[in-house]
Amino acid sequence: MLGKGGKRKFDEHEDGLEGKVVSPTDGPSKVSYTLQRQTIFNISLMKLYNHRPLTEPSLQKTVLINNMLRRIQEELKQEGSLRPMFVAASQPADPLSDSFHEAQPAFSHLASPPLLPTDFVSTMPLESCLTPASLLEDDTFCTSLAVQHDGPTKPPPPALQPVKDSFSSALDEIEELCPAPTSAEAVAAESAADDSKAQPSESNIHKPEGLPESRTAESKLMDPLPGNFEITASTGFLTDLTLDDILFADIDTSMYDFDPCTSATGAASKMAPVSADELLKTLAPYSSQPVTPNQPFKMDLTELDHIMEVLVGS
Amino acid sequence: FLGAGGGNDIQWCFSQVKGAVDDDVAEADIISTVEFNHSGELLATGDKGGRVVIFQQEQENKTQPHSRGEYNVYSTFQSHEPEFDYLKSLEIEEKINKIRWLPQKNAAQFLLSTNDKTIKLWKISERDKRPEGYNLKEEDGRYRDPTTVTTLRVPVFRPMDLMVEASPRRIFANAHTYHINSISINSDYETYLSADDLRINLWHLEITDRSFNIVDIKPANMEELTEVITAAEFHPNSCSTFVYSSSKGTIRLCDMRASALCDRHSKLFEEPEDPSNRSFFSEIISSISDVKFSHSGRYMMTRDYLSVKIWDLNMENRPVETYQVHEYLRSKLCSLYENDCIFDKFECCWNGSDRQVGFLPLCTSDYSLIVMTGSYNNFFRMFDRNTKRDITLEASRENNKPRTVLKPRKVCASGKRKKDEISVDSLDFNKKILHTAWHPKENIIAVATTNNLYIFQDKMN
Repeated sequence: MLGKGGKRKFDEHEDGLEGKVVSPTDGPSKVSYTLQRQTIFNISLMKLYNHRPLTEPSLQKTVLINNMLRRIQEELKQEGSLRPMFVAASQPADPLSDSFHEAQPAFSHLASPPLLPTDFVSTMPLESCLTPASLLEDDTFCTSLAVQHDGPTKPPPPALQPVKDSFSSALDEIEELCPAPTSAEAVAAESAADDSKAQPSESNIHKPEGLPESRTAESKLMDPLPGNFEITASTGFLTDLTLDDILFADIDTSMYDFDPCTSATGAASKMAPVSADELLKTLAPYSSQPVTPNQPFKMDLTELDHIMEVLVGS
Repeated sequence: FLGAGGGNDIQWCFSQVKGAVDDDVAEADIISTVEFNHSGELLATGDKGGRVVIFQQEQENKTQPHSRGEYNVYSTFQSHEPEFDYLKSLEIEEKINKIRWLPQKNAAQFLLSTNDKTIKLWKISERDKRPEGYNLKEEDGRYRDPTTVTTLRVPVFRPMDLMVEASPRRIFANAHTYHINSISINSDYETYLSADDLRINLWHLEITDRSFNIVDIKPANMEELTEVITAAEFHPNSCSTFVYSSSKGTIRLCDMRASALCDRHSKLFEEPEDPSNRSFFSEIISSISDVKFSHSGRYMMTRDYLSVKIWDLNMENRPVETYQVHEYLRSKLCSLYENDCIFDKFECCWNGSDRQVGFLPLCTSDYSLIVMTGSYNNFFRMFDRNTKRDITLEASRENNKPRTVLKPRKVCASGKRKKDEISVDSLDFNKKILHTAWHPKENIIAVATTNNLYIFQDKMN
């Protein structure tokens, strides 16, 4: 359907925001994918904080939101590691969805040990007798068993390691330059240079350099955003991480004010069909610049440019 | 119309509705579970306020041979009370998550009801006689003055108004750190399982101070948790077999004979993801909210956010059938994520097991032919496995006269809306049907809206 150029772009963005992975080969779609991802990221963070404080939040919901955040985090990090290899936009391949694909197996690798704790089982005579449920209440029982065996319960997934290493070394450099929020700047650095395009084949070559890097820098990003699934007297999440200090310092919630769907209490009676569109309208002004709708990221852009030059140079 | 073969299409008619009429819903009245007993004579509901209401079907009226008995309130009792967990400074909700009936062994009825933490076995018994004519007591219980007693008599039982009493016979507590989502009674009728987010425990119905852990997916480091248990059920015939579903869309079948701790599954059912439908929300919508074995146990049905899948237990790599419940919501997932609707846990159920329902079983001795599940806007859906036809019906008080056939509904996904169709954007996402139940022997269904219970039956000629 022919219409004003602006309107067509509008429809494109509407498709882009809701659910589907948009092929980021052309400029506007890629931006909308990034906007979509950022929006979902922000929504997810707000959800973790907005549960009813009186009763325990649903663990299933928490786990699903957490997985969403991790996936987006991982994607952002992989984009960060791809950045030195960016070239102009004429790639037939689909780098962002590739990284999205890659994020999944990386986490499924992490996910599998908890489900099959064969090491966990074999050190105790659990094979031969039933475990009374009463013993499960005692968390020290579980953790002491985990300490007992020699084999790694959670072997660091090799697929993840190389990706993190180049990035973590970059983070180390960033940390030296400015001691404060390293991860936020890294995220912002990725977003800042987002207008350059990735080259997937080179990123694959880039990855297998498996250096046994220390976990200090990468742990700050890799450690889950909600630090703790055990419910404590407080909300229980986001206990002691540097990341949440940045992310929660100043969340731009202006995009949520207009939309009845976004009330903190939960379900709206009717889904406003324009919510996605309106979100994009408010975000549109940002699309012309590096996609950093959040305040804390803006302040260090010049410093980030310097850092990126350092990274590209090395 | 939906059919079960042989030209015998089921025509659903409104029969009854229970619950408050006004739109302002009291939170405690929100229905949280619905379950027929094994004969279908009793229908139990649990609500967010911790109450259980049991309806009983009237005996068939000889003057009205063409209508099945109505359901009337039989017993109401407070099953669970709110509690406070002092260790975590959090409330424990009294909401009844599940009710499961035991098969009837004597005059009394037994059911298991559970909230997030505690399972209770309730005995529901009738009393319609009482002893009268005590020697030392008056009828009201006061002791008589012994000097006035001049004769002896034997107390006799005299009829009284029927009184239905519910009493808690067993309380199964302190075995779950996380929230119980399922209970399932074993085919041995002696044991049952209870499942929470990370663990499944096995109980004996007679023993409350002990339960055995049979599945534990809690990781040593909780920060690595990425998957939880969402539902579990025992196989209807094999007392050593059960399944549990996960938030990642997998179902694991376990055999308790293999080992004491069933962390290693015997079978893993998982459908590979369709790459064309990939999105940020793929994982969330793949999370299974309910799993139900077919009557023979040859198949099982799972419900995820957008679809119902039928699995053959002999084939692990994909379901044999998939039915789309409300595919038009796929383009709205971001908004549904925002308003939390994407986390709604829809249940699903099979038709009754009696051969009245259909004439063409897909597998001999398995009459699991029709699937029913709920949606939004107080719509619910049925899928006929034989004819592959489906129907959307609405549970509402409007236009509902007894013995009038329900009008099928249609949601218009996009484009031009035809007359009588409803557009996706007009759907009321506060009106969700999460719980439905099908009478085990007759074509009677119970459908729970937020705070009302609708009963529909097929039009008898």
